[in-house]
Amino acid sequence: MQTLDIISINIWQILISFCNLIILFFIVKKFLFEPVKKMVAEREALAAGIIEEANEQKKAASADKALWESKLSTADKEADEIIKKAVAKADKRSDVIIGNAQERADGILRQAKIDAELEQKKAQEGIRREIIDLSSVLTKKMLKREINEQDHREMIDEFLQDIGDIS
Amino acid sequence: MPYKKAGKEFKIVDATLILMMVAPLLVAILCKVLFIPQSEGIEITGAHVYFTLNMPVSTLPISESQVNSAAVLISIFFLCLFITHGIRAKVYTKRAVIAEWAVEKVEGLVNENMGTYFAGFAPFIGAILLLSAFSSLISLVGLFAPTSDLNVVAGWAILVFMLITYYKLKCGPWYYVKGFMEPIPLMLPMNILGEVATPVSMTLRHYGNILSGTVISVLLAAALQAASNAIFGNLPGILQNFPLFRIGIPAVLSIYFDLFSGCLQAFIFAMLTMLYVSTAFPMEEYMKRKQIKEKAN
Repeated sequence: MQTLDIISINIWQILISFCNLIILFFIVKKFLFEPVKKMVAEREALAAGIIEEANEQKKAASADKALWESKLSTADKEADEIIKKAVAKADKRSDVIIGNAQERADGILRQAKIDAELEQKKAQEGIRREIIDLSSVLTKKMLKREINEQDHREMIDEFLQDIGDIS
Repeated sequence: MPYKKAGKEFKIVDATLILMMVAPLLVAILCKVLFIPQSEGIEITGAHVYFTLNMPVSTLPISESQVNSAAVLISIFFLCLFITHGIRAKVYTKRAVIAEWAVEKVEGLVNENMGTYFAGFAPFIGAILLLSAFSSLISLVGLFAPTSDLNVVAGWAILVFMLITYYKLKCGPWYYVKGFMEPIPLMLPMNILGEVATPVSMTLRHYGNILSGTVISVLLAAALQAASNAIFGNLPGILQNFPLFRIGIPAVLSIYFDLFSGCLQAFIFAMLTMLYVSTAFPMEEYMKRKQIKEKAN
């Protein structure tokens, strides 16, 4: 069988090889690079979509978080106010109660004083009457006679008046 | 990512693609086995010629290198189809990862060496790498490597030379001619020689490296045979001719001469293509002219 020389130049062989490379270039471009690049682009689009979605959700979540945080802080404030109000109310009420109690105690004390004074006056009156009775009896017994009821009473009254003035 | 079990049809298509990938190589091996007589002794020749076609200018011998390059071309075509078969964004498959890795590597290489202006060169560089590497690696299955035929590599180098010239002519023919007179007009013959030397050196480098690997393999096999004969020649019977040294040693050397050298030369050829084309293009001058043109409009 015939063989070529080790170094043999043939224009047609060169041309065929030239065309082979060009054909392979189109094959590689069409059947390897384009599908792969298409796939990569698709996947990137997919990933970008997922990332975008995630970002949106994150944004929504952060907005929610801010909302809830503001609500929470206002809730704290409200609770503080409620407590403050309650404390103020309770203070007022306790003041009122204490004032009432004081008043009542004062009233009782005053009443007691008045009663005591009244009692004292009564007692004084009683003592005076008894003294009058006693003195009239004493004078009756001492004089043993009835001068004039009317005169006597006047005299004693005068006397007693003197005593009262002195005491 | 969701993993979907491959359907029956998918598997059938896959099997067909693999079959079509292997079939051209089998045909090439069959052709070799059927038509080429076994060589005896040390024989270093070019490709065997199956038949010769009469063409204008010169005859076209359909040799092993032609058949094998065609086989490689068809194999690569079905390899591309196989590796991109059924790749989708949502389905995660091994071959998709491999295809993506390869494409990204080639694109990265092109961007790194040529710049983003030449991003469209990625498939071309990929084609060079694939064709060159597979043409050299086909010798692993015992076929004649088309890259050890001068004409095959010359065709590629001429295509690269055309690209170089195309990019050099981008700023007009006068700028191209002026480029030969730099730095001084006296350098004109040297520059023309240098220009012509580019495809020649590319061709000879690739072809010479692959061919030398084949030649060394043949010489080594013969030498090892001779060594076996010399040492075991006095043994009786069949042991006398047993080529003990030819077991194993050529396989180890084949890793370098066939596998490594083939891939390396493919890479070097692609690298040189990128460098020559990108340096041939006077980017700054071209952009300047473009701006001036845009302003004029």
